[in-house]
Amino acid sequence: MKLKKWIQSLIFFEILLGMRETLKHFLKYRPITLEYPHVKKPLPENYRGMLGLLRYDDETEKCVGCDLCEAACPSRVIRVVSAEVPGEPTKRFAKEYYMDMTRCLFCGLCVDACPVDALGMSQEFEWAVYDKRHLHLNKEQLLAIGDRAFPEREKRLEFQHPNVAYFNVSFKDIPEKEF
Amino acid sequence: MFETSIKLALTLSQIGVVMGVVLLTVAVLTLLERKVLSWMQDRMGPMEVGPYGILQPVADGLKLFFKEDIIPAGANKIMFSLAPIIVLVPALIGFAVIPYGPNWTIDVMGVEFKPFVISDINIGVLYILAFTSIGAYGVILGGWASNSKYSLLGGLRSAAQLISYELNVGLAIVGVLLLAGSLSLVEITEAQAGGFWHWFAFDPLPFPQFIAFVVFLIASVAETNRVPFDLPEAESELVAGFFTEYSGMRFAFFFMAEYANMILVSCMSTVLFFGGWHAPLPFLQAPGGFAWVTGIFWFTAKVYFFLFFFFWIRATLPRLRYDQLMRFGWKVLLPIALGNIVVTSLFAYIFPNS
Repeated sequence: MKLKKWIQSLIFFEILLGMRETLKHFLKYRPITLEYPHVKKPLPENYRGMLGLLRYDDETEKCVGCDLCEAACPSRVIRVVSAEVPGEPTKRFAKEYYMDMTRCLFCGLCVDACPVDALGMSQEFEWAVYDKRHLHLNKEQLLAIGDRAFPEREKRLEFQHPNVAYFNVSFKDIPEKEF
Repeated sequence: MFETSIKLALTLSQIGVVMGVVLLTVAVLTLLERKVLSWMQDRMGPMEVGPYGILQPVADGLKLFFKEDIIPAGANKIMFSLAPIIVLVPALIGFAVIPYGPNWTIDVMGVEFKPFVISDINIGVLYILAFTSIGAYGVILGGWASNSKYSLLGGLRSAAQLISYELNVGLAIVGVLLLAGSLSLVEITEAQAGGFWHWFAFDPLPFPQFIAFVVFLIASVAETNRVPFDLPEAESELVAGFFTEYSGMRFAFFFMAEYANMILVSCMSTVLFFGGWHAPLPFLQAPGGFAWVTGIFWFTAKVYFFLFFFFWIRATLPRLRYDQLMRFGWKVLLPIALGNIVVTSLFAYIFPNS
């Protein structure tokens, strides 16, 4: 047994074993590389990517300017300036809506906090920019992200739940109650 | 006068061709190394520049050529700019004595001309050994002149390493020299004519030089500063070793020198141990006037096998520790090489005519 070990060390047996292994991989060329910019890895369904503001299917914004997202955000990304909808004193909307994405940690608490599902997390992650200020997004940019990430839009709440909407004084143009 | 100018023109064109081929091979090797390494590591290697990344050397060359050339503050400017040249020139100059085809002499307008070796000098082996050790000076100078601790440490390591392993290269060759009875690389190759059983690495009588060949191969890997003996440029410890501070064309010079040294060492092991331009089996050699085609083919094939071996080793082995390197060089390789000389000379004395 000792002689065998001696001979093995003499002919670099272990190095030869290693070289056989590398040669095997060389001859059976099966790369595990994903050529990233050309081929992208499929993301999981619940991937938390870039934030965006959503609209209803009639192009109106979902956001009601309640500031709950601002309150829920742990890194103070969001700033909402809320205002009344002109001519409808019972309704409010976000006049201005800013997100400082340099600080965002993509926890998704704002999405959870939103009572009207106005925020959504897209699958976008390629947001490297040359200028840091390009990550300070305003309402139009956020709406654009929401538009391209969620092309399928929801109906307005009063059309989704007409029975509930019937009792809500803030809804104009309430459809006929279904019996 | 006329004859001299003809000879000059022939030699210069020959040098041009050999230099061109060597530098082209260097460019090919940079790509080939990355491809072979990545294939062995289940990667793809460069894929972006050109189809399958084959234009990568061009892109690398352009990038290095147009890069800013920085000389660090506090560096010794003369030495700093001299070092890359001292490294590159000896690496390229060694190819002058490498025979890459049959030893023919043709007559061009009254001038004797050897088309397949630039100059067949009778101390070819000595010439190559001398010039490769000059390359070590460039490494040390470059490390010292950069005024950086990483460069200095890399230079010191390489100085110690080159000196230790050059000894083994020299001693491993002695066995071949004993058998061939000449220092001329052309005559050494001609002594190995016939099939592969006449190559010095396998020739059963008087004594096969296979052990010397292994010693030579290991020592030459160490001399070219490659994995597993790449302590002078240990990437994880010394940034890039002796050329940490170099950029642009000067860096390219060091890079080219490393690859040119690899080619030179592969050529040397081909010529000394694997029969140079001779085919492994006699019938694989084209007869008569076409012998040079197969000659150059077999020479190139063998050289590329050794280059592949270098990449193969690099993909397989991790780096040695410094004390392991020194112990292996002085306590293992040196006694083996010395023992090989003793045994070879004994056998050469007992069987003088085989």
